[in-house]
Amino acid sequence: MSIIIVSSEVMASEKQTAQAVAEAVGYELLGPEILDDIAAHNDLAADKLAASLSCSPSPWRREANKRWLRYLASIEAGVLDRLKADNIVCWGLAAHMFVRGVSHALKVRLLVDEQQEAKQIAEAQGISVKKALKSLENEKRNCAQWSAAAFGRNESDPAMYDLVINLSQIDLDEAVRTISSAVGYRKFQPMTYSMKTLAEGALAARVKARLLASMSDVQVEASDGRVKVTSKAMKRERQKKAAAIKAMAGEVEGVEFVEVHLINYVIRAAAESFR
Amino acid sequence: MGVITISRGSYSMGKAVAEKVAEQLGYDVVSRDLLLSASERFHVPEIRLVRAIHDAPGILARLRHNKQSYLAFIQAALTERVCQDNVVYHGLAGHLLLWQIPGVLKVRITADLETRVVNEMQREGISAQEAREIIMEDDHQRRKWTQSLHGFDPWDSNLYDLVIRIDRLTVDDAADFICRAAQRDGFRTSEKLLQTMKDLALASRIKAELVENFPALGVKSEYGNVIIYTKDKGHAGTALHKRLEAIRKTADDIYNLEVHSVKSIPREAV
Repeated sequence: MSIIIVSSEVMASEKQTAQAVAEAVGYELLGPEILDDIAAHNDLAADKLAASLSCSPSPWRREANKRWLRYLASIEAGVLDRLKADNIVCWGLAAHMFVRGVSHALKVRLLVDEQQEAKQIAEAQGISVKKALKSLENEKRNCAQWSAAAFGRNESDPAMYDLVINLSQIDLDEAVRTISSAVGYRKFQPMTYSMKTLAEGALAARVKARLLASMSDVQVEASDGRVKVTSKAMKRERQKKAAAIKAMAGEVEGVEFVEVHLINYVIRAAAESFR
Repeated sequence: MGVITISRGSYSMGKAVAEKVAEQLGYDVVSRDLLLSASERFHVPEIRLVRAIHDAPGILARLRHNKQSYLAFIQAALTERVCQDNVVYHGLAGHLLLWQIPGVLKVRITADLETRVVNEMQREGISAQEAREIIMEDDHQRRKWTQSLHGFDPWDSNLYDLVIRIDRLTVDDAADFICRAAQRDGFRTSEKLLQTMKDLALASRIKAELVENFPALGVKSEYGNVIIYTKDKGHAGTALHKRLEAIRKTADDIYNLEVHSVKSIPREAV
């Protein structure tokens, strides 16, 4: 009874391993196919939602960033809601970034032999190994940029994972056996506290996704149905913004009380005073 | 039948994991005793060897090549021990000193900083602040050491076959992971692998003999055919040849010995 999250810089290895682990332990497989459902549920474009998991907009494009963060919050809410069902192997959804503090989630990172992977890609796509290597390098660079922009963390940091397996010497079958064997370990069993953390993460993400539809700079925390929203506002619009946040957040299922903290928008206030 | 290196940050319970793995597989644990044997064999105080694999070299030390000499001594002792097979080595630099051997299972044990702080506080009876400072300084030295001598970041997962975060697992769980991986064919000692170990041991032994007088040389061996790489076009003169002749007379596992002038020392040479 636990959650296994498989991640890798190379999507093909991630999918293959997750499928094999799910089969070995008899868990449900959760992958990018749920993005269509999430898009429909949040009234978002499915292709843009999928793209938000691999590309990050330039930090200078404010509107694009706001949309991107909304897409990510929608995915986070959708993924965490589904993970509550337990007994799941998850891949391709960046779930390792969402399950902070959830102790029954086993986070596994796979490292692949670049040369070997490039040869396979070259054969499958009929391109040169050199070209395949370059595309792999690009994929890695994008991954690093994406995780830094979205969560301020380096995805390749081993401290983020419980287990990192290098597939250049350990074959897939062995990796699957190793991951599967961890499922029975006591520390990965769901406990009341970790299930609560997961549910609260899902609620906070749902509220964030709802708020990002019409505003930016929103931080949300949830605890026992109480939601704390932190945002920025200029002095004259504080009351109006607080009321709007309370109204929007209050509509989200599971929210019992909304607490709003508004920080003075110093930069915008300064910019407006010079006009 | 195999060799496992366990790299760890300080207070990450790597020693306990290494001992458990060795117990389960019936292997020998090698760590500090290796430094003792290198110290006796090459007549260097043990404390200097400890510093050589712990503190990053300063500018003067780099010019004097002291650390390279001490590392060559440690590598010679380690590779010789590894040739006897069935070894779990835990300590600094095992994965770097043995990187030329593909069948060595290279493991890294990591732990959350706060878990390590608690371990250190309990062990030394000090405050959290003191423990944190000690650990962070230790990590800094280890990172600097690996980067200055090998150009790698020890925290880079690509250097290892398996990275295990111990604070969410027990020592037994981590040992299970490692034992399972160690029993794979790729990590069992084959005849070819044993030969690679012997060649690395021979090259390391020759390097240790030469390093004090010829620190910039590279040594490689294949089935006892030893190549000494030098950037000196004049093959480093008669001093080197005399020294090599002396080594050759005392070593019966050298089949052939040649000196090659190269523009850059090959990476696989020790």
